[in-house]
Amino acid sequence: MSKVISATIIFGLIGLAFSLLLAFLNRKLKVPENPKVKEILNILPGLNCGACGFSSCKAYAQAIVKDPSKIKSCRPGGSQVDEKIAKTLGKKENIEQQKKMVVVCVCGAEAKDKKSTHHYHGLENCQSAHIIGGAIDCVYGCLGFGDCQEVCPADAITIKNKKVYIDQKKCFLCGKCIKACPRNLFKMIPAQGLGNYFIACSNKDRLKEVKDACSRGCIACGICTKVEGSPYELVDNLSQINYNEVENKKPLEEGKSRCPTKCIDSF
Amino acid sequence: MEKLILIFISTILINNVVLSYFLGICPFLGVSGKMESALGMGMAVTFVMTLATSISWLIYYLVLERFGLIFLEYIVFILVIASLVQIVEMFIRKYSTNLYQSLGIYLPLITSNCAILGVALFMVVKDYSFLEAVVFGFSGGLGFCLVIVIMAGIREELEFANIPKIFKGAPLTLITAGILALIFMGFSGLGGG
Repeated sequence: MSKVISATIIFGLIGLAFSLLLAFLNRKLKVPENPKVKEILNILPGLNCGACGFSSCKAYAQAIVKDPSKIKSCRPGGSQVDEKIAKTLGKKENIEQQKKMVVVCVCGAEAKDKKSTHHYHGLENCQSAHIIGGAIDCVYGCLGFGDCQEVCPADAITIKNKKVYIDQKKCFLCGKCIKACPRNLFKMIPAQGLGNYFIACSNKDRLKEVKDACSRGCIACGICTKVEGSPYELVDNLSQINYNEVENKKPLEEGKSRCPTKCIDSF
Repeated sequence: MEKLILIFISTILINNVVLSYFLGICPFLGVSGKMESALGMGMAVTFVMTLATSISWLIYYLVLERFGLIFLEYIVFILVIASLVQIVEMFIRKYSTNLYQSLGIYLPLITSNCAILGVALFMVVKDYSFLEAVVFGFSGGLGFCLVIVIMAGIREELEFANIPKIFKGAPLTLITAGILALIFMGFSGLGGG
């Protein structure tokens, strides 16, 4: 019994000595934090998505308090948040409006479209499947294991029949899926306000190879480029939309409807 | 004097805490990406280890042994280490914000760094005198510092090397650590036994 008492007393005393020392040093070595960091942190969405290039919202807040020229990199927040931050920091300059962008997945093939001459029994993720050549014959297309779905902090990505669907209302453009996809299928395109057209294929092969691998691939026939006033053009056997030339919806829609493999998509 | 030198050299090279006892692997792998933060980490560990071993020795022999409370050694040593880490953290936050940010989570992780508790416990097992214990703690820290700096040097060079994609990151780091351990095994004949 006496051991218990002496152990309690001795340990208590040692603990007390250290805690007093720590309390004393804490007062001595306190680092004053800029109150603006906290204010900005409250304005920021607090998702820690990392789209701005900093590791967290806090790191971003600290960086812009130090150097206000770095404002306007919060993609989830958009220009509204930028303006609020500029106001807090007392920066008068007009904040440039962020151009509206949307993320699309440029593989529009469903499970039934993608052909496969072999069975894949490896790990159920895109990264592994991509290394050994994939679960499907098309070496450009979506593998459909959902690496993108996993990294998406907004739960905006769903996969149905091995095809990616992006909920544009939830997506805040953090760009994590762009990095996660081993086949680089996610592209950021400017929002057009006319229905967001894009080419849902990234296969750069020629007609026969494309046909062998997928029934919805772009076969580089060039029909879409022949529409009057067409913003479509063929680059590397793949149709592309020149978004700078888009003025009205008509040639876009016509190109889409004429596409023999239905690989032009819009929403 | 001879014994002190022997302890010093053998703890750094032959019985290196990281490479032959596998202690403190976490910061060794985690903070060895950049030379600057590796050196900072090494210094912090050396400082904490030296002080922790000395203070642990004092508490162990002057307090615990006298009152027959040797069974409290683990918890007391942990208390000493945790407090010292807290103090080091306060100092670094105050005087070097850059180092504080680059060490990140690994700085508080020194608290549970098994290398430090390991060295403090070895000091008891090996029945060192106070001076020997101080030298042991200091050289243990220096050994850690040496290895983490070598590792950081290698990893900084590897950043520019054209390595296969599947080796990038953790695999290559672990392989590098393994080869380093192989090399340090070569020192084991140094003490003449």
